[in-house]
Parts: sequence; C-alpha cells; structure tokens
Amino acid sequence: MASIWNISVLLLLVFGAANAESNVNQEAKKPIQTFRPYNVAHRGACGEIPEETAAAYHRAIEIGADFIETDILASKDGQLVCFHDVTLDDTTDVKNRTEFSDRKRTYEVQGVNVTGYFVVDFTLEELKSLKVKQRFSFRDQQYNGKYSIITFEEYITIALYADRTVGIYPEIKNPVHINEHVKWTNGKKFEDIFVETLQKYGYKGTYLSESWLKQPVFIQSFAPTSLIYISNKTDSPKVFLIDDVSIPTQDTNQSYAEITSDGYFSYISQYVVGIGPWKDTIVRPQDNYLTTPTDLVARAHAHKLQVHPYTFRNENSYLHFNFHQDPYQEYDYWINQIGVDGLFTDFTGSLHLYQEHTSPYPKDIKTSDDLLRKIEYIISKYERA
Amino acid sequence: MASSGWYVVSVILFIQLFLARVRGARSYYPLSSGSYNHAKQPLQTFRPYNIAHRGSNGEIPEETVAAYLRAIEEGADFIETDILSSKDGVLICFHDVILDLTTDVGNYTKFANRKRTYEVQGQNITGYFVVDFTLEELKSLRVKQRYPFRDQQYNWKFSIITFEEFISVGLEAERTVGIYPEIKNPVFINQHVKWANGKRFEDIFVETLKKYGYKGSYMSRDWLKQPLFIQSFAPTSLIYISKLTDSPKILLIDDVTMPTQDTNQSYWEITSDSYLQFIRNYVVGIGPWKDTIVPAVNNYLTTPTDLVARAHAHNLQVHPYTYRNENLFLHFDFHQDPYAEYTYWIHKIGVDGLFTDFMGSLHMVPGMDLSSEGCKECGCFIKDNFWHDLSI
Repeated sequence: MASIWNISVLLLLVFGAANAESNVNQEAKKPIQTFRPYNVAHRGACGEIPEETAAAYHRAIEIGADFIETDILASKDGQLVCFHDVTLDDTTDVKNRTEFSDRKRTYEVQGVNVTGYFVVDFTLEELKSLKVKQRFSFRDQQYNGKYSIITFEEYITIALYADRTVGIYPEIKNPVHINEHVKWTNGKKFEDIFVETLQKYGYKGTYLSESWLKQPVFIQSFAPTSLIYISNKTDSPKVFLIDDVSIPTQDTNQSYAEITSDGYFSYISQYVVGIGPWKDTIVRPQDNYLTTPTDLVARAHAHKLQVHPYTFRNENSYLHFNFHQDPYQEYDYWINQIGVDGLFTDFTGSLHLYQEHTSPYPKDIKTSDDLLRKIEYIISKYERA
Repeated sequence: MASSGWYVVSVILFIQLFLARVRGARSYYPLSSGSYNHAKQPLQTFRPYNIAHRGSNGEIPEETVAAYLRAIEEGADFIETDILSSKDGVLICFHDVILDLTTDVGNYTKFANRKRTYEVQGQNITGYFVVDFTLEELKSLRVKQRYPFRDQQYNWKFSIITFEEFISVGLEAERTVGIYPEIKNPVFINQHVKWANGKRFEDIFVETLKKYGYKGSYMSRDWLKQPLFIQSFAPTSLIYISKLTDSPKILLIDDVTMPTQDTNQSYWEITSDSYLQFIRNYVVGIGPWKDTIVPAVNNYLTTPTDLVARAHAHNLQVHPYTYRNENLFLHFDFHQDPYAEYTYWIHKIGVDGLFTDFMGSLHMVPGMDLSSEGCKECGCFIKDNFWHDLSI
C-alpha cells in the first residue's frame, strides 16, 4: 500500500516538474496583440523602477507591455541571471560591500578594457545578496536598495503568471565574454543553457505559430554566430541586434556596413525574423534634428525582416528637436512615418497609451482569428473595473 | 446750395470715419485680410482652454511673432503674453523686467552704461531694465531661447514685439484665437514710466485693447468674436481697470511665500473663501502656480488642496501655470510623460484652462483636439477620445 502511494506521489511529482509552465493555464488568457507594432518593455518599466527587477517587470505588464525584455548573463556558478552590464558597479551597491572589495578586476570585453566588479566573478548567492538601484540619476530614486537581481527562470515565471499573454524577449548578452569566463559541464555553452531554460518552460514554435502565440518569445543577440548556433536547437524566432555604425560584431568582427548590406540580410534572414538596430542609425540626427532616413527599414522589410529599433525614452534629453520634447510625437513618427514593427522603450506605459488611442483595434480583419481577437478585445474593455 | 452740398458731403465723410472707428478700429493699422471678423471658426468653449504660455516657447524664443504664429498653428485657444513698458511708454511683450536672460543686450557697447540695480517686489535686481530703453532701442535687440536645453537654432533671429503687434497676430489668425495679456509688474512700471495726462500703465493697457475692439463680458457675443482674458498678480490693477472695461479678468496667484506686490497680502489671505468672494466681483477666475494646488514632496504629488473646489464654488475658473514637457518639470507620478500630467489636471483635478509651453502636445491630449475625429488640418494623431484607461 505504502509503495503504491509512494509511486503515485513520485509520478505526480515527475509529471508536475516536467510541465513547469502548465501551473498557469496559458489557453484562457487574453491573447497577445499582433496587429500593431510590439510594445517591448526594455529592461522592464525601467523609466520608473530599477531595471530588470521583478518589480520593473510586474509594472511593465501592469501598464501594457506586449513583451518584457531582458539581458541574460551568467554568474560564476553558471546560473543565468537578468542583468545588463558585465559589471555590477553602475546599478548595484557592490561598491559598498566590504566582503567583495577584493573582487575588482580588469577584463577585455569587446576589445575594450573594462574595470569593475564582474558578474562572472560572483556566485548566484552573492549576486542575490546585492541590492539594485536606478541607473539614471534623473529618474525616481525611491526604490534604490529595495530589489535584487533575478534569475532567468524567475523572469520567465513573471511572464507566465501574468493574467494576460505577455511575451518574453531575452538577450543572449555578451556570449563571447560569458563563454570565456564561465564553463558548464558536458562541454555546454552559454547558448545551450539559455535555450534549455526556455524549452524547460515550454517555449517553442515558429513566429505566429499556435505554440508561439500561447507563449510568445523573441531571442535577441548582437552576436550572429550565437543566433545561428541555436537555430537548430529551437525554432523560436530570433532577432539580430545591430549596434552603432562604429561597433563591429563581437564574434565575427564584421562592420555595421557589412551586416546591414543586402547580401547579409539575405543570409541572416534564414536564421532570424528581424533586426534590432539602434534608432539613430536608421535616421541619423544632426544638431539634434533628424536628417533624411536611411533605407535600412525598407531593405529589411524587403527581406521579410521585422525592424525593432532601440531605445525610446521620454526624457527630453533623448528626444530630437523635431519631436518638440514630446515622446508621443516620436512614437508617431517611428510607427507611422518609418513603419517599424516593434519598439524597445523604457516607458512602455506611454507607448501603450499612445497605441491605445491611435490604433485601438485592427482596421481590417483578414482571418477568422483576427475577428475573434477583435471581439475578445472589445469585450475585454468592459471587463475592466 | 454749394455750401449745403459740402456740408452734406462732410457729414457723410465724418459719419463714415466714425463708423470705421467703431466697426473695426483698424484704420491705423490696415492689414491684409479685410473682414477678419467674419466666417472664422469660433473659439471652442466646451473643454479647458489651451493657453500658449509666451507662445510656443518650447520650440521658439518666447513672446516673438514666430512663437505666436507657431502656437496658433499647433492649436492654441489663447496666445499669452506679458506686457511691460519701454522708457517712452510704449507697451511691449516681454516677461522679465531685465533684458539680460533672453536678449543680446550685453553685446552692445552703446548700452554698456545702462546697467542698473532697482528694487522689484522687495528684491534688489541688477541688469538692463526694459524701462530704461526706448522702443527703438528695444527693437534693435535680438531675442534668444531662455532655456539651454531647448532648441537654440532661432537665437538672434527675432525681435521684441509691441502689444499692438501681438494683438494683430491674434486677430489675423484664420480661426478665432483669443489673447491673454498680463498687466505685468504694474507697481514697478508705474514707478519708472510716466504717461501724459496722468495716465497709468493700466490705462494705456486697456486703451490699447479697446482700440482693437476688445470688449464684452465673458461669453458675450463681443467676447466670442475677440476672446480675451486680462491677467495680473496685482489685484488693485484688476480692480482699477474693472471700471474701464468689462472684459474678463484673471487674478494670478504666486507661490505660497510670495505676497502680492501691491497690497502685500499673503497667499493664504488671497486664497481664503472671503477673499475669493470679494475678488469674484472683479475677476472671472484665478491663475495659480500648479504646485500650490497639488503640492509636491520629493517630486511626488501629495494630496490635492481644496483650492480648485473652493474656486469653483465661488464660480471662479482655474487656469494653473505652467505645464512643460521636459522631465525635469514633471513629478514622478507622471513617469516623465507630459500627457499623463495633462490628463491628470484635466480629468482628475478638473481645471478650466492650462498655461503651457507646449500647446501642441496639450492639443493632442485626447479630448482636447478640435473635433472628436481628430484635427485634420494640423495633422495630430489622436483620433479617439478614449482616455479613461490612464492609470494615474
């Protein structure tokens, strides 16, 4: 009797663990919108709350993000964490910690010597003991010291537990640097662990497939070889990030001109569904005024590549004078004049309000799915308190 | 017979001239469009007034013709200005009593000896004072953008304008645009500038408005054709002109620490119920500094005061100043989003007008555009009045 009981409990546990994501029924949720450009909460609602914290992601979901975005690095003991910089100096209290005072190092990262307290020199437990702060001094400082660094899995859980379908947009960040400093067993690389984590939580399916719509994801990276490497491990859509015009790729040392050429687009479009360029390379400013847009978006679209530029911020120091210090006019320009397919923004709430007021529902309904989604959307308005 | 014919002709001519003065009072400054008063899109009066504070000075140097034209283009209901006086008694549009911050006066060797120190509202101020320069001299100066973080490309391109030029910009607009001039620093002006016949600054101010046909109480037919609010921080000036004109007046209210320049009354006194009751005899509204209505601590809003409610209870409009897009002016509740601020003040606090440096943005706040379908002529993108999901 006891043994049957033991076995059944064991079986329950096994099945329970295998379906980590099925704790929350993803079927019954309000679906993700796909008729207007994606609202990508860059590092969560980092305009309001310290970046890449649970609070920042919850807030982003609360104020309307389609996707929550993060940067994945690895701790010394190979745990994947959400953190943007390779060093902890600018956004944590590591410098005040006497127990870590001997951890300062200088490493070469993407050809530049960087000095600081490196994420890869701290175990997860040590990283968790730190407290995070708001990066920019002109943003709200009241949450400094309240939140910790979270793991990739904690981030995924936040998305899956949202009460509507929220996509994730994790970045394979600094893979060259990570793979230099962190080793996993069985000869696995950073990219392997990254994909395994996603698959553990049931992320799969090509762009707009049924699986994808239930659990939307974009995998992003500045390193093309990482994206190509994972392409036979997962069919989840990938986005190729493109840095400023003077920065070569960290893994293949290719220039901006080369990786934005038509030939390269033809090549990379076999592996990625879109590109994520720095917006000032698409429309280059001069004296804080926009000049004539380049043809980058048109050529990307011609190769069936989406364009998700980064990063949109409300503060007037980031707004070119054409927009008259009005972040909504910047959104209007990029969405309606340039025609991008997604936007990385620090102020996902503002973008959401702009989109709600200017494109609240699909203009033309092409499929029955669209019609059902439209009905869903109309009904959901009346469900709000 | 010839003499009576002459008599008739001269009477007819006299009548025509008289009618011309009454009809348009434009005979002194004939401008291109003749019958400007007819067939214009009327002023909207069903939503809070979009008041272009110093013109579109978020983009263009303040109080210039270009700033006012731009403000009208962006959808302002009213163009606002501050009226001071030159040495020779000509009323001009200029905000500061000194020229140092927004003009190139310091570059002129011929003006080098004009620097003075005067007491203004209890404080000693040093600089080149407007009241020490004739109109011609003021006109020779060039104006610049006040804030370094705003567009500097129009610096030194524009001049100071007169009150009459400002009025012309308002009247010449293709749709009905109101004007919102301030009797600025009247105590100081009357100390330093004298007019003939014992007239004061306030007299000349009102005469100028009347010359251009501004009259009529709030919402009267005359007022709707040429909308006007006269504003001032000095209650006695407003009371004084109340016998000269029935145009609506607004009492401006400074920060809680600043007493009135003419009556030395505190903020608390002039916002008390009894004072509001008293001043209601003379003004139709108040213009407070917005941080006194909803005070902020650590850049977060605290509980709103009851000022708006009490003002409304006394049938006084509330037009707070000043709304600006830049994040350094936005309290953290608004997440660096100027639209969140506008929406809060319009829908939560319920003000009747807003002084803004960015009338283009205010115009595009849902519910503030000229029609419910969005404004086609200025190309603004808001096509819907659906605003209630704002989570402030």
